[in-house]
Amino acid sequence: MKRALLLALAAVVVVLLVLAPLWLNGYLINLLYTTLLYVALAYGWNIISGYAGYFSFGQIAFFGFGAYATALLVADLHWEWILAALAGGVLAAALAVPLGYVMLRLRGPFFAMGMFGMAQMVRVLVTAIPATGSGSGLFLSPDFGVAGVYYWTLAICLGAIGVTIWISRSAFGLRLQALREDEQVAGTLGVDVTRAKISAFVLSALIPGLLGGGYALFLTYIEPDAVFSSRLDLQSIVMAILGGVGTVWGPLVGGVVMTQVSEALWARFPEIYLMIFGGLLVALLLVLPRGIVPALAKRFAAGRKP
Amino acid sequence: MIVLQLVVNGILLGGVLALSALGFNVIFGVMRVVNLAHGDFVVIAAVFCAFMFAQFGINPLLLLPLTIAVGFGAGALVHYALLRRLPAEVASGEAASLTLTFGLSYFLVGAGLTIFGGRFVSVPFLTGAFHIGDLSIPQARLLAFVVAVALSLVFAFVLRSTVLGRALRATSQHLEGALACGIDVDRVRTLAFAIGTAVAAAAGTLMSFLYNLNAQQGVLFTINAFAVVVIGGLGNYTGAVLGALILGLTEEFASYFLGATLAEAAPYLLFILVLLLAPAGILGRRTA
Repeated sequence: MKRALLLALAAVVVVLLVLAPLWLNGYLINLLYTTLLYVALAYGWNIISGYAGYFSFGQIAFFGFGAYATALLVADLHWEWILAALAGGVLAAALAVPLGYVMLRLRGPFFAMGMFGMAQMVRVLVTAIPATGSGSGLFLSPDFGVAGVYYWTLAICLGAIGVTIWISRSAFGLRLQALREDEQVAGTLGVDVTRAKISAFVLSALIPGLLGGGYALFLTYIEPDAVFSSRLDLQSIVMAILGGVGTVWGPLVGGVVMTQVSEALWARFPEIYLMIFGGLLVALLLVLPRGIVPALAKRFAAGRKP
Repeated sequence: MIVLQLVVNGILLGGVLALSALGFNVIFGVMRVVNLAHGDFVVIAAVFCAFMFAQFGINPLLLLPLTIAVGFGAGALVHYALLRRLPAEVASGEAASLTLTFGLSYFLVGAGLTIFGGRFVSVPFLTGAFHIGDLSIPQARLLAFVVAVALSLVFAFVLRSTVLGRALRATSQHLEGALACGIDVDRVRTLAFAIGTAVAAAAGTLMSFLYNLNAQQGVLFTINAFAVVVIGGLGNYTGAVLGALILGLTEEFASYFLGATLAEAAPYLLFILVLLLAPAGILGRRTA
């Protein structure tokens, strides 16, 4: 009964999101797009860092890589934008195989900061290639419209949620959680640790890679700092953490709530936005260290007891 | 000749990087916390000194006691009021402290921009240079180097020869052992964070006459400190000094031979290589 109700609610939300571009105006559709982008980025991060426990500060490398690949395919080779964005995601995922093979040998804060360095290096290298317009960026034709990008991002977002639901119920997900708890023990129990974590890493690269292409078309002008933005990266991480790391619904709840808070703060207090955002983050972390979703789940579980 | 000049520049830069990294290292060593706000403390101190120099003409070296004291107080407060309150067993331990110090970093950047504005500032102080043959030694860099070395020696003395230093080292080497010896670990951690932040503020004071900075540049110094500490081995102080020299030399050589854009990647490449090839740092003793 309750389950059917939730499913119906989810269906209504999806239908509303699909219909949204028909009647929403410019600002609201941009806000909706931004929300979906952050939610999907948070889901991408949640797979490698939430389920597999490899805390990464560098998934933005794949976002920027996808954005640049898409922009080049559209601007220089005149591909259809959907194909170009798809190719950008696939290329980012392909890049993640060798990178993951090397980087996933690091652990804990070493992996976290190593990935940060890796993202910076990818940014510098992309900037150094003349074909990308070096540091000055690339212009794209502005007539793609927001609607196409919006549907693209919505599809990836729903896909990311679907993949996460699958992970939470599959043997693959159990393998990831086993290696998060204790990699050596998981290995001795017969989990192919390397394969499991590289698979998770590739999934966590594919999602931002696909999103990056859409973002390039959304901006119509890309430059290194815009798509390899550590702010985008860190905010999506914060959203996943506040929602609940390694949970199915944490990135959704955290992403939706924090995007609205962040946008409202930005609109109202632009000059002290960073200060408030930072202070709020610290405060929320102290009040809800495990995130919103686990805290709610605990409360519901407690309420159900006779 | 140019090589010699670059070596001199690299060593002078390395001295200041070492000081900043020592602060980062003491916090990691004692608390296992990667302090993402480290560079922001450095930069806030630097921007504050530049502001005081522009407004009142105060020599940044005279401000050193003040910035160190304020840094100490701020660090103690951050640990006592915030970090200490994180539950010990939050899923994937470092996630909570990384997030918290990241939030703190945002807060400091925002505060710095609000108070001091976004303009890049520095202290135009001792702009001349000594000349030895063809070699030129910028006076400001030399001064910063000398003060940084002196402060690092004070730091080393505290760590080696005082009761507090022994308690700090004991806590970072063996938590249970330290507890069993009756060390008030909670208090030691507060002091470690305070000392680490005070050292960051001191380094920032010296940075104020080396770099043009605004409050947003902190992440650069966080990365530098992290790179230095990784190269030397986390929690290893001798290694950190060596790591700082290596990083200083790498930065000078890379920016001369590769140009400013590619040189930006040099510290990252360096620390990823060290992480992969010598994960315990170049001295090979993992205390972490």
